[in-house]
Amino acid sequence: MAAPAYPAWVTRWVSGQWRNKKRPPALRPPRTLALADKVANRREQLAEATCITEMSVMMACWKLNDFNDAPCAQEIRMFYDCVAKAEKERKNQNGDTQSSRGNLPSSKVNKLLKRFPQMTRYV
Amino acid sequence: MAAPSTAGLGRRLRAWLPRIMPVRWSRYNPSYLEPEVKTESYQKPLEELTEEEREQMELKAVRPIKAAPPSLSSSVFSDPMVSKFTNMMMKSGNKVLARSLMSQTLEAIKRKQLEKYHKAPENEKETIECNPYVIFHQALKNCQPIIGLSNITRGGKTYQVPVPLTDNRKRFLAMKWLITECRENKHRRTMMPEKLSQELLLAFNNEGPVIKKKHVLHKMAEANRAYAHFRWW
Repeated sequence: MAAPAYPAWVTRWVSGQWRNKKRPPALRPPRTLALADKVANRREQLAEATCITEMSVMMACWKLNDFNDAPCAQEIRMFYDCVAKAEKERKNQNGDTQSSRGNLPSSKVNKLLKRFPQMTRYV
Repeated sequence: MAAPSTAGLGRRLRAWLPRIMPVRWSRYNPSYLEPEVKTESYQKPLEELTEEEREQMELKAVRPIKAAPPSLSSSVFSDPMVSKFTNMMMKSGNKVLARSLMSQTLEAIKRKQLEKYHKAPENEKETIECNPYVIFHQALKNCQPIIGLSNITRGGKTYQVPVPLTDNRKRFLAMKWLITECRENKHRRTMMPEKLSQELLLAFNNEGPVIKKKHVLHKMAEANRAYAHFRWW
């Protein structure tokens, strides 16, 4: 004899779940409970201006010498050196993805996550 | 069942070539090296080369080389700065005219300096510079600004922030100022070589309107030095 097909509420009532205070699930996840393949875009913390001291020293020298470049050659050279160093550091830093100053920027994180996405089905 | 159809598809795809080949954004493969045009580098005997030069030579034997652009010359008389200046003076592609103007300018500089040389007393003759190329380079160097201003918007207001400039930008600004000064602020009937040679000689001595423009820019940068912290690079 085949099992009689009762409606679902009958089976549930008969099993006495409701009397044991079974609740419907409190959490009904609107999305799948899995990590997404991207991070929210966070506003990146701006870096500080470089070479301010050298610039102010050079400008003080300019003020003294009426903006002639010849007497201020030493200060100007120091300013150029500082600028070149800051430029090189910026170029190196762009390759190292700025992990020294806290977290990675969100764009780079998204690129990495895209390369290694979440497994959605069993393979 | 699937295999014959994919093979046919592959054959049909390979036979299809686009009728239009994209050229605008095409570029050399990154493995292509720049051409070496100076003859002196090829005349050095093998022993005098340093380690890195030897490595460079071996790399060149293996890697492909880009085609040399027509503006690149191996002549001893070619100067990249002079070529750049000529190109900036050129209007609607008239390179012949721009080049002739440039050579006339250099000739005018030489003539003026020679006149000064022959008129000067004996002790001052060494101080007068007669090489027009030296005068050109020194004048351009004197005209280059050291610090520039850039517009940075903060809280709705735009500020002029002092900012360091790259070498290319400095050279460009110096040349641009010289050319605009000659084109706009001179008498209409003076010829360009005459105006340019006058401006170059003034700039060589750190005088003249272009140097003044550079000083004005420096003064503005100095006045706005409080906003220097708005920079983030």
